[in-house]
Amino acid sequence: MADDETPSQTQESSTAREFSANGTSMSTTDVEAKLDKGNIEEAESSLRERLSLNSEEARTLLGRLEYQRGNVEAALRVLDGIDLQAAIQKLQPSSQQAARLVLEGVYLKVKSLQKLGKFAEAAQDCANILDAVGRIFPQGIPDAQVESKLQEMISKAVELLPELLKQAGKYQEAMAAYRRVLLNPWNLDNDCSGRIQKAFAVFLLHSGLEAGPPSLGAQADGAYVPKNNLEEAILLLLVLMRKIHHGDIQWDPSVLDHLMYALSLCSQTPVLSKQLEELKPGVFHRTERWNLLALCCSGVGQNKAAMNLLRKSLHINERPNDLTALLLAAKICSEDSQLAAEGVGYAQRAVDNAKGVDEHLKGVGLRMLGLCLGKQAKVSSSDFERSRLQNEALKCLDSALSFEQDNPDIIFELGAHYAEQRNLNAALRFAKKYIDITGGSVMKGWRLLALILSAQQRFAEAEVVTDAALDETGKWEQGPLLRLKAKLKVSQSRPMEAIETYCYLLALVQAQRKSSGPMKIDSQVQI
Amino acid sequence: MSSSNPGSPSATATSSSSASSFSSKAHSCIRALSSILSTVPSSVSSSSSLLHDPTVSSQISTLLRDPDSGSGENDLCRWLYDTFHSPDPELKLVVLRFVPIVAGIYLSRIASRKSLAGFEAILLALYAHETTARDGQPISVNVPDLTQPSIYHEAKSSVKTQATELNLAVISPTLEPHGTMRSSRRARIVGVALELYYSKISQMPVSSKLEFCEFCDIWATGIQNKPSSSSSSKQKTILLPWELLQPSLRILGHCLLGAHKSKKLYEAASMATKSLYERSLHDIDAKAILATSSLLRLEKMALDPKLNVDHTEIDMSLAL
Repeated sequence: MADDETPSQTQESSTAREFSANGTSMSTTDVEAKLDKGNIEEAESSLRERLSLNSEEARTLLGRLEYQRGNVEAALRVLDGIDLQAAIQKLQPSSQQAARLVLEGVYLKVKSLQKLGKFAEAAQDCANILDAVGRIFPQGIPDAQVESKLQEMISKAVELLPELLKQAGKYQEAMAAYRRVLLNPWNLDNDCSGRIQKAFAVFLLHSGLEAGPPSLGAQADGAYVPKNNLEEAILLLLVLMRKIHHGDIQWDPSVLDHLMYALSLCSQTPVLSKQLEELKPGVFHRTERWNLLALCCSGVGQNKAAMNLLRKSLHINERPNDLTALLLAAKICSEDSQLAAEGVGYAQRAVDNAKGVDEHLKGVGLRMLGLCLGKQAKVSSSDFERSRLQNEALKCLDSALSFEQDNPDIIFELGAHYAEQRNLNAALRFAKKYIDITGGSVMKGWRLLALILSAQQRFAEAEVVTDAALDETGKWEQGPLLRLKAKLKVSQSRPMEAIETYCYLLALVQAQRKSSGPMKIDSQVQI
Repeated sequence: MSSSNPGSPSATATSSSSASSFSSKAHSCIRALSSILSTVPSSVSSSSSLLHDPTVSSQISTLLRDPDSGSGENDLCRWLYDTFHSPDPELKLVVLRFVPIVAGIYLSRIASRKSLAGFEAILLALYAHETTARDGQPISVNVPDLTQPSIYHEAKSSVKTQATELNLAVISPTLEPHGTMRSSRRARIVGVALELYYSKISQMPVSSKLEFCEFCDIWATGIQNKPSSSSSSKQKTILLPWELLQPSLRILGHCLLGAHKSKKLYEAASMATKSLYERSLHDIDAKAILATSSLLRLEKMALDPKLNVDHTEIDMSLAL
C-alpha cells in the first residue's frame, strides 16, 4: 500500500460499487467522497436526484454503503437521520414494500450495533422488528402473500434475536426468545428453523441455566411438552435428526454429536442406536457406524449385540486394527468364558497396535489379555493347559501394572488371580493395596480381602474386615457382605450367631421389597 | 397496636427485615473470614463481592490446597460449613464456588489416610441440602418418541396409540440420607455436590470453573499439569464411577460449549475433555467414550470457520 493512500481509498479501488434503484444505477465513488468528508446531507441529496428516491430510501442505501465499507459507526450516523421508531409505528399491512424498507433500515442498525458490541441495544431494536412484523401479520406470515425479500429479512431478524440476547448476557431472555421464535409461525424455511432449533438445543444443553418448562397453556393441545432443559434439548435434536432422515435439511454431524452427548449422559444409548441405524448410507463409513453402534449396545450391557457388530468391523477385510474396537471386544470377551479364547486374539492385536500416539493404551491391552487368558484358563480341558494359561495371565497383568502403576483395576485383578492360584500371600498384598488405593469405596475389594483371609483360616480377621466393610456400606448394598459374615460364623462354629445374621439379612430383603417403588432400581438389595 | 402505626420504626424494619438480615449475615461472615485470611479488601462488603473478589478466592483456594487443609479442626472448612448454612442464598453460592477445589483435593487425598473430616462435613452438608431440596426424589428425563406430536413437531401419522412410548431415564437416582461419609457412598455424595454446583454454574465465576477443569484433568490422568504448583508430581488416579463422571461431564460440557467468552476456560475444558476421553479408553467405558468423543468432535467443529457462517449477515447489494 502506498503511504499516501488511506485504507478506505484502497478498499474503494479494489471494489467498484454501484447503487441501483428504479431502473437506474450509479457509481458510488462521488457519494463515498462526500461521506468521507462528513457531508451526509449532500450525499443523500445526490442519491435522491440521480435515482429518484425519497429521503428514507436514500438514507437506507447510504447506511448499507457505510456498513459494507466497514464504517459501522458512520452507518449508524446515517441511519440516525431516519426516525425509524416513528416509521415502524406507521407501518401498514397493505404496503410490504414500504414495510421492508423501514425494517431493513432497523435491521441494518441492529447489525451495526452488534458489530459495535452494543448487544442489549441491538436486541431491543431486533425485538422491535419482530413486534412490527407481528402487527403486520397478526395471524402469522402467509407463505403465498409475503414478499420474498421481506421474508428474508424477517428470517434473519428471527435468527439473530436470541443470539443478541446471549451476547448481551441476558440468558433468561434468550431462552424466552428462542421459544418465541420457534413456537410462532414466522414462515421460516427448513434450513433457518433447523439452525435456530440446533442453536437452542445447544443453549439448553450447555448454558447451565434451568429455565423451567415452556408454558403454553391451551396451545399445547395434547402435544408433548418437555418438562426441563435436558428433555427439551433432546426433543429438539430428535426433531432435527428426523428432518435429516427425511432430507428436509442437510446432514449436520454436530446434531448427532450433541445428541450422542445428551443421550449418553442419560444412559439412553439404544435411542442413539436407532438414530444411527436410520442414517442414510454414506454418512458414516460402515465400520465407524458399527463401532458406534457397538458402543451404544455395550453402554447398556447388550454385549451379545455389541460383539456381533464388533466381529463385523474387526473382520480382516474391514478395520481389524481399530484400537477402541479391539479393546471393547476384548473387554466383552473377558467377561464370558465361552468367548475368552476369541478375546485373547483381540487383546493381543490391541497390544501389538498400541504404538505411537496410542502407546498409552498398551497397558490396557495387556490387562485385557491377562483377563481373557485367566477366563480361558477356567474352561481349559487339562490341568497342564490351565496352569499354563494362568501363568501367562499373571505375567500379562504384571506387565500391565508396570505401565499403569497405580491402576486400581489391575491391582484388584492381580489379587483375584493370585487368590485363584492359591498364592494367598501375594493375593493378600494386592487386596490390601486395593483397599488403600480406593479408600475402601468398592465392596468387591472388601469381599476379596475377607475371602483371602478366610482361605488362610484367619476367620476372626476376616470377620473384622467384613464388619469394617459393613460400616462403609449403605444398608441396601449389605446383602453379599451379610452372607459372607454368616458363613464366617459357621466356619467358626458359631451357628446361633450365623442364624442371627441370616435373620437380619432376611429382614433387610423384606424391608427393601416393601419400600421398592418403580424408581428404586438403583438400590435393590444385592444378594 | 403500635405496630399498626405506619410511621413507627418497627413497621419499616419488618418490610426490609430479610434484606437487612441477609446483609448483616454477610457482614458477620466476612468478619469471620478476615480472621482466617491474611487480607480481606475493604471493597468486599456483600455476599456478591465475596463471590467475585479475586484476592479473596485465590487466598481461599491456596489455603484449601495446603497439605494440612481439610481436617475437622480446620478454620476455613468450618467457615465454609457455617457459611453454607446461612439462609442467604448468595452466601451459599460463595461456598458452591469452592466445590471444585474441595471435591478435587478431597478425592485426590483419599488414599493418603489424612483426616479429611472438614472437607467431608462440607460435602455432606451439600448432599443433605440437595436431598432436602429434592425430597430425596430422583431426577429423570423423558426421551420422547416422535410418533406422538410435540410442541416442536407434528406427527405424520395421527394414529393415537394408547401408550405414549417414552423412555424414562433416571439421570440422578433417589437420594438416601447420609449422616456420615461411608466410603462406598463417597462417589455418590461428591457427585451430588457436583450436581448442585452444576445447577448454579451460570452464576459461578470463571476462576471456579477453571479449578474444576484442573481437577478433572488430575482425576483422569493422575498428573498435575500446573508447573507452578508445589506438588507437580504424579498423583494417584482415582476411580471414576458413573455417579462422579456424569455430573463432571455436564460441567465440562458447559465449560467447553457454553455461552461464556473466556478463552482460557475453553482451553482448560478442552484439555480436561481430552484427558477424560483417554481415561474412558483406559477404563473401556462405552458411555464415557461416546460422551467424551462427541465433545471433542464438537469442540473441533466449533473452531472451524467453514462451519460457522453467520446467516444473519446483511445482503451486500446496494440495490433497492
